[in-house]
Amino acid sequence: MLKSENIVSSRQYFIARALAWSMLLIIGIRYFQIQIVEHEIYKLKSNTNRIRKVNKNAPRGLILDRDGEILVDNYPVYVLTAIPGEMENKGNQFKLIANYIESDSSKIHSSYKKYYRGRFIPTRLAKDMNFSQLGNLEENKLNLAGVYYDQIPERYFPNGVRAPHLFGYVKEVDRPIRKNLKNKDAYELGDLVGWSGLEKQYETFLMGQRGTSFYEVNATGREVGVATELDETRPIPGNNIRTTLDLELQLFCEELMKDMKGSILIGDPLTGGVLAAISAPDYTPDFFTGLITESDWNSMKSDPDKPLINRYVQGTYIPGSIVKMITQASLLKKEGFEKDKKYYCPGFYQFGDRIFGCWFTEGHGELSLNEAMAVSCDVYFYKTVTQLNLQNLHDTFKQFGFGSKTNIDVPNEANGLIPDKDYMTKRYGKYGWSRGVLLNLAIGQGELLVTPIQILNYINLLSTKGVSPSNHFVFVDNLPLNVKPNLSSEIWDIIHNGLRSAIISSAGTGKKSDPQVEGFVVYGKTGTAENSHGDNHAWFVGWADYKQKKYSLAILLENAGSGGAIAAPLARKIFDKIISKNSYASR
Amino acid sequence: MINLKKLNISEAPWKIILSASFLSFIGLIALSSISYQSPSVAQNPFYKQLFFLILALIGFLISFLTPKYLIHKYAYVIYSLGAVLVILPFFGDTHAGTHRWLNVGLPFNFQPSEFAKIFSVIALARYLSDNTINIQYFKSIIMPILIALFPALIVLNQPDLGTALVMVSVIFPMLYWSGARPFYLFLLVAPLFSILSAFNVIAFTIWASVIAIVVFYSNTKIISGAGYFFGNIFFGLLSRPIWEMLNPYQQNRVLTFIYPEKDPLGAAYQIIQSKTAIGSGGLFGKGWGAGTQTHLKFLPVQESDFILSVIGEELGFVAIVIVLFTFGYLISHIIRGSFLSKDKFSSLVLIGLASILLAHVFVNTAMTVGLIPVKGLPLPFISAGGTFLLSSYLMIGLVMRFSINYSD
Repeated sequence: MLKSENIVSSRQYFIARALAWSMLLIIGIRYFQIQIVEHEIYKLKSNTNRIRKVNKNAPRGLILDRDGEILVDNYPVYVLTAIPGEMENKGNQFKLIANYIESDSSKIHSSYKKYYRGRFIPTRLAKDMNFSQLGNLEENKLNLAGVYYDQIPERYFPNGVRAPHLFGYVKEVDRPIRKNLKNKDAYELGDLVGWSGLEKQYETFLMGQRGTSFYEVNATGREVGVATELDETRPIPGNNIRTTLDLELQLFCEELMKDMKGSILIGDPLTGGVLAAISAPDYTPDFFTGLITESDWNSMKSDPDKPLINRYVQGTYIPGSIVKMITQASLLKKEGFEKDKKYYCPGFYQFGDRIFGCWFTEGHGELSLNEAMAVSCDVYFYKTVTQLNLQNLHDTFKQFGFGSKTNIDVPNEANGLIPDKDYMTKRYGKYGWSRGVLLNLAIGQGELLVTPIQILNYINLLSTKGVSPSNHFVFVDNLPLNVKPNLSSEIWDIIHNGLRSAIISSAGTGKKSDPQVEGFVVYGKTGTAENSHGDNHAWFVGWADYKQKKYSLAILLENAGSGGAIAAPLARKIFDKIISKNSYASR
Repeated sequence: MINLKKLNISEAPWKIILSASFLSFIGLIALSSISYQSPSVAQNPFYKQLFFLILALIGFLISFLTPKYLIHKYAYVIYSLGAVLVILPFFGDTHAGTHRWLNVGLPFNFQPSEFAKIFSVIALARYLSDNTINIQYFKSIIMPILIALFPALIVLNQPDLGTALVMVSVIFPMLYWSGARPFYLFLLVAPLFSILSAFNVIAFTIWASVIAIVVFYSNTKIISGAGYFFGNIFFGLLSRPIWEMLNPYQQNRVLTFIYPEKDPLGAAYQIIQSKTAIGSGGLFGKGWGAGTQTHLKFLPVQESDFILSVIGEELGFVAIVIVLFTFGYLISHIIRGSFLSKDKFSSLVLIGLASILLAHVFVNTAMTVGLIPVKGLPLPFISAGGTFLLSSYLMIGLVMRFSINYSD
């Protein structure tokens, strides 16, 4: 039956056994490699597999006023989130949610698409849920698998201070933003980053340090407990920043500028700290928190009054008469200039074949330098400035910090413009301009462009005779060095006299700014700047010496008319406020 | 005629059933770890395995007590029965999109291909032991190939690539055992390699040179040598259209094997999680019931295909070495029995069964460590699974019976 004999040779037997053992040996070696040699790699992998790192965002630092009053706070808002992998029927659930919270399911869907980062990462569906909405959702929880709500901090402005340009806003970090951040490793998607204003400037102070917790998750990504072997790190809240703002003055000035266009800056020349800063018109500071609708954004962007622009650092303006002190200083520095020599103002001046008018068309008559400063006569300066050249004027402007950034601690500061020979030649060609430009520059017209913050610095420098520290909004240890105009004390005194005359002499242009209070000594200058975009801009600049303190002021009212008639009375209101504040403060 | 003594049961190699039982014991340890959180007894893989183990031991006794001559006599009948069995699932409902399982009215399903592979070996052994064949000629090995290929092709269409591969792989050691020239066996495998290597120019060039060298040293006539060579080149050129014929899931498995990082959540996910489980286990493992990869369900099909990964994670490299050594001991003992066998039929059955076991062990273990694509083949004696456990112990019964040199 089993008739054939087994003919397997011992060689075949050996080969078969060797083959079997070597196949198992290969497997054994491979296991050795993975389990012993590469053990650490896989150990780490297995831990990261099952441990989910959950970030605990640090609360952002607060922004305070100079007395510690909270200007920008954090406030928890409820957000509705969903874990995509746990949802059952997205379209249907979105419809249900829209129904419960009285919203639009397409809105929820677009939020979902915007925030989606992964199947097991909570994805935001809606924000700013109120308790009745949360109640509705809670009642219908069974239909809403994978839908949760969560609290996130949002910026909140408890004292009613607007100052949106100064505070700026925060943005949620998304992929393109993260790519462009300098220290991108410090941020994860969904974190907040300061995007403009102080929020941006002081981001490293305000941001704090994220904490982390570790949860054990299973293969479907569900949390099954806390991973105890890893220490959780608590978030470190961001540092508060104390601004130099005076809450009361800021609110007062905001109210003053409610229906105006322009800017008010109140400074402290002795420290450089800005007490109030208004750019009007503005917008509510919470405009940028949350999802902005396309139409809101477009109407804001295309508004001809440009509410998005921070006028005092980004706006550049023709200064007009308020920079006559530059011309004055340039003349006084010039050897052979006679400050007491009188010049006659008939109301106009002919230079070559051009007529340059004085703002006072009837003419000021015979004037010395000091008298010319008091009444802001243009013809006096037309006549005297011909003793100077463009470089003389340019240098003095530069000495007072014009034409370059003041290094104020707010982003996107503009440079302004002070023309020199090179600039004019470049712009108009070698023979395209004449010394006639000097006449325009002498009275602050022509190619000049300044920012209100440069003007405030200029006033600070004038009031301290050139030693005012840099302007700033936040108390910091090391301020950037300010420019230091070098004038003789005699010249400083002459300038001070001129600015004082403009307030107290009978024809002084700044008369209306003086509150006429004992011990409250106002120095000032008005300006009425012609501009090609409509009515004149009204300026008032100046300072008050009061109880060993100084208060500097730069007011710009766009298209408002005459500085003396419009801006000076506004200055008086502010000075009154400062006086009343001081009186009850010292009581 | 060869002279054989009467049956003496005590001559059976008891070490073989002991080794198999030891492996099943290790499997139970792993399964009990997986099961300790299991909600119900019916769903508990440990108790299910215990139950099947009892059935499997009964199966072992039946096959051990079946006389050799009956198996020899009805080899082709059994073979035909196996072929019918693997066709039957095609008339039933699909399970998970496949025709692998047969519903026989029991609370569990039955996978006929597990038995068909044994029956293939028996039929092959019968055919090859009939002395009428001169195995030295290439023509004469065509019939045995057809015997092995027929049920394998059906199983491949179920589709069950892993089991089909196991069914085909037995042909090589069995032909070798029958005295086929290794050169012919080489010619048999060559087209497959030609197809695989054709996807890469360098690999194909190297492979073509290997063919040329082998053909040159094989003392074949120039004409047939050239035929073999260019035939293989032709197969290589065929590989693209053949690739197009594969199921997307099979293409996917091959692709993720070659580029595992491409799809970490797809098929490669299983290999990555398995390697992570094994690698994180280290020398002594994380301890019984403490495998995070296993218990947090990162490890897929952990009770069957990836059970060795569970052992690797929880019991460590030490346990892996013990398992691999036990398999080696078991398989080399079967080969020894085959070598010592007086008659050719017994010898061929033994080497065939050893091949099945080795193929299962190699494919399964290599898969757990990412050496070959995921094949869905369980590990004998250790993996959970009713039919497979039963067929494994049936094989052990046959091995024990056929290792005794006797005459019925």
